[in-house]
Amino acid sequence: MAIHEKTLIDAERLQTSDNLVLDGVDVSGHWNTMVLPRYLTDYDTDFARQIRTFSGGENVHRCWQCGSCTNSCTVYAQNTDFNPRYWIYLTNLGLKKEILKDKDIIWTCVSCNRCTNICPKDVKPEGVMKALAHWLEEEGHTPETKSSIFDNEFLGQVYATGRIEDTRVLVNFLRKTNQSLTPPWLIEIGKRMTKYFPLTFLMHMGLHLVFKPRTKSWGRTGEVLREYVHEQKEIARKARAMPKEAVHV
Amino acid sequence: MQKTVLVVGAGPAGLAAAAGVAASGAQAVLVEKAAKLGGTPILSGYAKLVPSGEWARDAMGRMIKRVEESKNVTIHKETKVTKLAGEAGKFTATLSNGTSVECASVILATGFTHFDSINKPEWGFGTFEDVVTTTQVEQMVAAGKIACPSDGRVPERVAILLCVGSRDRQIGREWCSKICCTVSTNLAMEIKELSPTTDVFIYYMDIRTFGLYEDRFYWKSQEEFKTKFVKARIAEVTRSPDGRLLVKGEDTLVKRPIVIPMDLVVHAVGMDPNEDNPEIARVFGVGLEKHGFIDRAEHYTNTCGTTRRGIYAVGAALAPETIDDSISQGTAAALRAVADLNALVQKSA
Repeated sequence: MAIHEKTLIDAERLQTSDNLVLDGVDVSGHWNTMVLPRYLTDYDTDFARQIRTFSGGENVHRCWQCGSCTNSCTVYAQNTDFNPRYWIYLTNLGLKKEILKDKDIIWTCVSCNRCTNICPKDVKPEGVMKALAHWLEEEGHTPETKSSIFDNEFLGQVYATGRIEDTRVLVNFLRKTNQSLTPPWLIEIGKRMTKYFPLTFLMHMGLHLVFKPRTKSWGRTGEVLREYVHEQKEIARKARAMPKEAVHV
Repeated sequence: MQKTVLVVGAGPAGLAAAAGVAASGAQAVLVEKAAKLGGTPILSGYAKLVPSGEWARDAMGRMIKRVEESKNVTIHKETKVTKLAGEAGKFTATLSNGTSVECASVILATGFTHFDSINKPEWGFGTFEDVVTTTQVEQMVAAGKIACPSDGRVPERVAILLCVGSRDRQIGREWCSKICCTVSTNLAMEIKELSPTTDVFIYYMDIRTFGLYEDRFYWKSQEEFKTKFVKARIAEVTRSPDGRLLVKGEDTLVKRPIVIPMDLVVHAVGMDPNEDNPEIARVFGVGLEKHGFIDRAEHYTNTCGTTRRGIYAVGAALAPETIDDSISQGTAAALRAVADLNALVQKSA
């Protein structure tokens, strides 16, 4: 083997070309393995500002790395890879690639807010975790979360009819998230409901499922609402992408 | 009956000492080796002082005016003390301009010398034009424009390296220069005021903005001016092919080596003992402590005392010191010197 202790090197820094001939010499396979340098070569100086435009991330630049957040963290106690202090540092320096390495655990914050309560600089680390998770989702680094799927289903019904139909929200949510339509807890709810046999309620439910009633004189309200929400999201997105000269903070 | 105090050095501490002596009704003879009064803040062209935020020329200007207008102060510029004979209560000082001064006591307010960054060649000063010191940035701020010396462009990124010539056993500087952290955070804000699109990075081992400097400088520069603090001691400054500078080191929090492009690199230079201290020690017969600053007497009952009776020392002559505290010490030493005069009066009565 050409490289010793290969296991100690991040997989992404190892480069091997299957077919390579150099000066007439066949060096295919592990003979041409190169290890990319591990040093950091630049900061994204605009990244912290972008994260500050997400709700919760407003104070991220205040951090001085005392580590109170990580020390008090409920999730860190279970998983030492979950390190809010470290991600806040990476955010402030704009070391995005390093943050992406942890993209699959940042969302596991349970929002207990112990970090936010203890932070001496009022960074609100819990909010930063939320902001980072939203950034990851918006940039497509992580798949759409279940809560976003639920929100969209819920809002979609409101736009269309001015009201929501619990059963339909639930069924569509389960379907869109590839979950069973008959989870045990739902069956249990059904069982207990039938015990009381709420005939009128069940009839309403059935009717509404079929006829999808709208709120009286809903008219174009849904359209207007949808446009407004879309507009607001665009404004936020543009603020994030603003050129440095326009914001300089 | 001798009623004169000799004050050596006309920086913040010396100006305060001379003013203190004069205000008490005694005579002060102020000797300054430079052609101008005001000491380092004036001679090095400082911009706004910490923590008052007042321009150096205004703040020092008031101190200078007070001394110049006092009928109890005699000023000798471009002059050194070449000889001091006698003992406490009856010294005779010979000045380089030929004057002889009879005095009861001496206050040494001889200050410090900025660390010469040439002594840390790996950090690029003297090799690359765009590596400068905090003193040079002070001058840029005072002139109202922040620019890279190589081509005059406004820097997109500035790196301020802390502890240059401080806390470094390799070059025999085992002390903290006390004020560079605060000065650097202040400069970071001033740079941002002159060029809002410039990003300022401060590379630190520790941030020592003591006392009220904490929120007024460190927090403010971070929270309001978005200064970035990077925990890394830089190993080397080099140049990339495109002409920008590269700072190399280890980011100790990410635990990875860094090679980051910068436009301007600023050395936060520390305070060395005054380069003339060996001469001062010889002329005045006072001892130097192990780093080369003037050695302090027991402080509790012999405040501002040196190893020789009747000779006091104040400000950055004793150790790295802030301007404000140097002024306080100058005033304190004036009290000691005047108390000596009174004791002589009582003795002769």
